[in-house]
Amino acid sequence: MLDIVVCFKWVIDEAYIRRTASGGLDFSSVDYKISEYDRNAIEAAVRLREIHGGAVTAITVAPPEASKGVKDALSRGPDRAIFVSDPAFKELDAFQTASILGEVIRVKSKFNLILCGEGSGDSYAQQVGPRLAGILSIPCVAYVQRLDIENERIIAERKAGDFTEVLSIPMPALATVLPDIASPRIPGVKDTLMASKKPVETVVRGDLGGVPEAKMKTLGLTASKMERECELFTAEESDIARFVATLQKKGVLK
Amino acid sequence: MPGVWVMGESRGQSLELLNAGRIIAERLGVNLTSLVLGGEEEARDHIAGGADEALIIPPLADDQTLDALIPVLVDEAREDDPDLILFTSTYRLREIAAKAASLLNTGLCSECIKLYFNEEDRMLEMERLIYGGAAVEKIVCLSRPVMATLPPGMFEPARVDKTREGRIREIKGKPQSACRVLARKSRERETKDIRDARVVVCVGRGLEKKEDISLVRELADALGGEIAGTRPVTEELHWLPEELCIGLSGIQIKPELYIGLGVSGQIQHMTGVRDAKVISAVNRDSNAPIFGTSDLGIVGDLYDIVPKLIKALKG
Repeated sequence: MLDIVVCFKWVIDEAYIRRTASGGLDFSSVDYKISEYDRNAIEAAVRLREIHGGAVTAITVAPPEASKGVKDALSRGPDRAIFVSDPAFKELDAFQTASILGEVIRVKSKFNLILCGEGSGDSYAQQVGPRLAGILSIPCVAYVQRLDIENERIIAERKAGDFTEVLSIPMPALATVLPDIASPRIPGVKDTLMASKKPVETVVRGDLGGVPEAKMKTLGLTASKMERECELFTAEESDIARFVATLQKKGVLK
Repeated sequence: MPGVWVMGESRGQSLELLNAGRIIAERLGVNLTSLVLGGEEEARDHIAGGADEALIIPPLADDQTLDALIPVLVDEAREDDPDLILFTSTYRLREIAAKAASLLNTGLCSECIKLYFNEEDRMLEMERLIYGGAAVEKIVCLSRPVMATLPPGMFEPARVDKTREGRIREIKGKPQSACRVLARKSRERETKDIRDARVVVCVGRGLEKKEDISLVRELADALGGEIAGTRPVTEELHWLPEELCIGLSGIQIKPELYIGLGVSGQIQHMTGVRDAKVISAVNRDSNAPIFGTSDLGIVGDLYDIVPKLIKALKG
């Protein structure tokens, strides 16, 4: 029986972040989304269940507003969700997130495979997966492109730079997956309706043994500089000629 | 013992980290130690590159993965207690750094793009990009050792001085991991490394079909450049090989000229070209975000514009 836990993060949709005139960041009109990489991880988990049977549990550590994300995750195919929620869970570092996930997974969920996206869409620190494996003392393989299961072992092909490695790893194990692993489905109306009927177990801060102090401290956040000239041209032949002449003048043509 | 440790996967990567590590080690007034994948000869090379000490890592069996070194590195780090450990940000070392940080119960700055030692509060301040590259976060690590992964190419390689002297030591310990390597497949590069290209023409979802890549190729040829793609075009549609994927999770390039054709300009993609000398774009949507981060933009259909551009360039 395959019990897969898939971790996901509810993140700010960076497309809505505005840059203020003074170089600061304006979050006043942001929306949230399931981190893109995690959508592929959820899809990979669901496809493995379709082949091998078993159950998929989706888990997230987030502030209460993320309940929308829990429903979104469930509409993508997992059987149930664990929502570890507290208003303070907005700004956790990778160490804290992995510690909380580790404690909850150990207590609340059977698992023989844990999947995470390669990194999150907001911080992209790519740490929670390997850290979680360290906390749970299970083997880990990161940046996996293909994943299969044979005789209680996972067979994973992962990127290692100029080459790929095909690895055999005993379960229970953790894998972080690249987007290539599986393209996420787009949930339909029926999936969304079904999602609201699926069980969600909510774990609150008081249920945890404690939340450890952060290891990293943010000193500041500034908009990254991308100041460009922003000169526009039309499709007219004369404008195209002017465009080419401008490139020439900038010395970037041969 | 106080110190700065560095570890890369290749000679070039180690030399880059030795250069960065040297500066910090001197500020801290501590030794610089290089972790060596190799033997005596490589160890001497790292010392020539600025290490005070070279630690030779035990060799791996053929079916062992690099992560089998984690227990060895963690034991040695517990014993030696360095102040700072820097890794080159490669796929395998990122994974190793994160897992080692977990076992050492410390913090890790991933993909650190800038680091400096603040004399006043004696903290190492590090910067990294977040929100797909939209923001720069400045962070410090509150625990010890401080750990960071640095993208390759961030620092010049250290100057090699063969007369330098240092200590060479072999790390004891047995590499072990539950992961077994069944096969290694070298990914034959299908294309030239576009990180060296002077001009890069990049296609996005504005391209209607795979066959139309030939049109893009024609423009690249007229410019003496190479072609590349956004994530959807490479990793999802597979119209171009993955190695040509530009962006935060793909490759970052610094050409003289970048031209985005039918590229919307998502921040993750633009972060991959932020250091280009000139950024230009062709998009039929005048509201496309790429126009806000380009020097020059042409509002128009790429199927109309590209032939005109080719003609103008040849004329």
